Amino acid sequence: MARSQLQTSSDAENWEVQLRKGSLELAILATLWDGRHYGLEILRRLESDSDLLLSEGTVYPLLNRLRVLGLVDSEWVESDSGHPRKYYRLTAAGRRRALEMSRIWARFSASLSTLLAPLEKERK
Amino acid sequence: MTVPTDAQQQIDAYLEALRKGLRELSDPEARDIVEEIRSHILDKAAMAGEITNARVTATLSSLGSPQELARQYTTDDLLNRAQRARSPLLILRSLFRWASLSFGGFWVLLFSLVGYFLAGAFSLCALLKPLHPQTAGLWHLPDGDTYSLRLGFGPVPAGGREMLGWWIVPLGLIGGSGLALLTFHFGVWSIRQLWKPYRARKR
Repeated sequence: MARSQLQTSSDAENWEVQLRKGSLELAILATLWDGRHYGLEILRRLESDSDLLLSEGTVYPLLNRLRVLGLVDSEWVESDSGHPRKYYRLTAAGRRRALEMSRIWARFSASLSTLLAPLEKERK
Repeated sequence: MTVPTDAQQQIDAYLEALRKGLRELSDPEARDIVEEIRSHILDKAAMAGEITNARVTATLSSLGSPQELARQYTTDDLLNRAQRARSPLLILRSLFRWASLSFGGFWVLLFSLVGYFLAGAFSLCALLKPLHPQTAGLWHLPDGDTYSLRLGFGPVPAGGREMLGWWIVPLGLIGGSGLALLTFHFGVWSIRQLWKPYRARKR
């Protein structure tokens, strides 16, 4: 494979990683939209409903940051498994942020889709 | 839920390393994080049934190294505190951390250190002028046509000419304090405008 092709492929992968990282905050807020969840539930939803998860170790510090920013609340709840679990829920500010981010995302995605339509045809 | 001894030892070693990495945080905060990760490990390892040593190994591996995990928490914490900071020491500590993570951080740290050094030198020179009235001050030296800020501990430089006289006292104090303030705000601005977006990209 030519060197330039290798470079292009690596650039594209890099870009994809950045794109996933940039979307992870919105994805986590979205998983909490319907109620409270603990870390592993959030991870499992990210795995099953999206292709965003890069590393499990990324999600917990991010949840902590969202808590510090006041976008989520957390509480420890006893469970049947024998150990307590830390549950997260969106705060009012978190709900507002999630809605705002989702609005920006939808607008961004729609405008990009128009531009990408000719490329999509070519790809098929 | 029963955890085999070897699996428990693995979990304990991981959490101990994580706890060590979190020592910059307050005790309750670090304890909260360690307990959450313990809860995650136990839940994840038990997802497919019984907890085994192999399942714990796989769970720990998908979390990444405890040092890296701790670093994500502490860097976020430092960044959050630095954004609200009013302490030059906390800003400097944050800049040292940033410098260890990126080249941009290194340059901001370097500028800040030079800024604080010059601010300190001007202020010290102003304060020492009354003790060394003949030798402390801003000197012009004919050798190489250079300027030298001298604290007055050495002899009068041969052929040198003092530029400011007693004016070094107010100018040194005002200039030194101003430069220190400017350097502090440069550090805060860099953290907010440069490091925060950088951190968001690297996360």
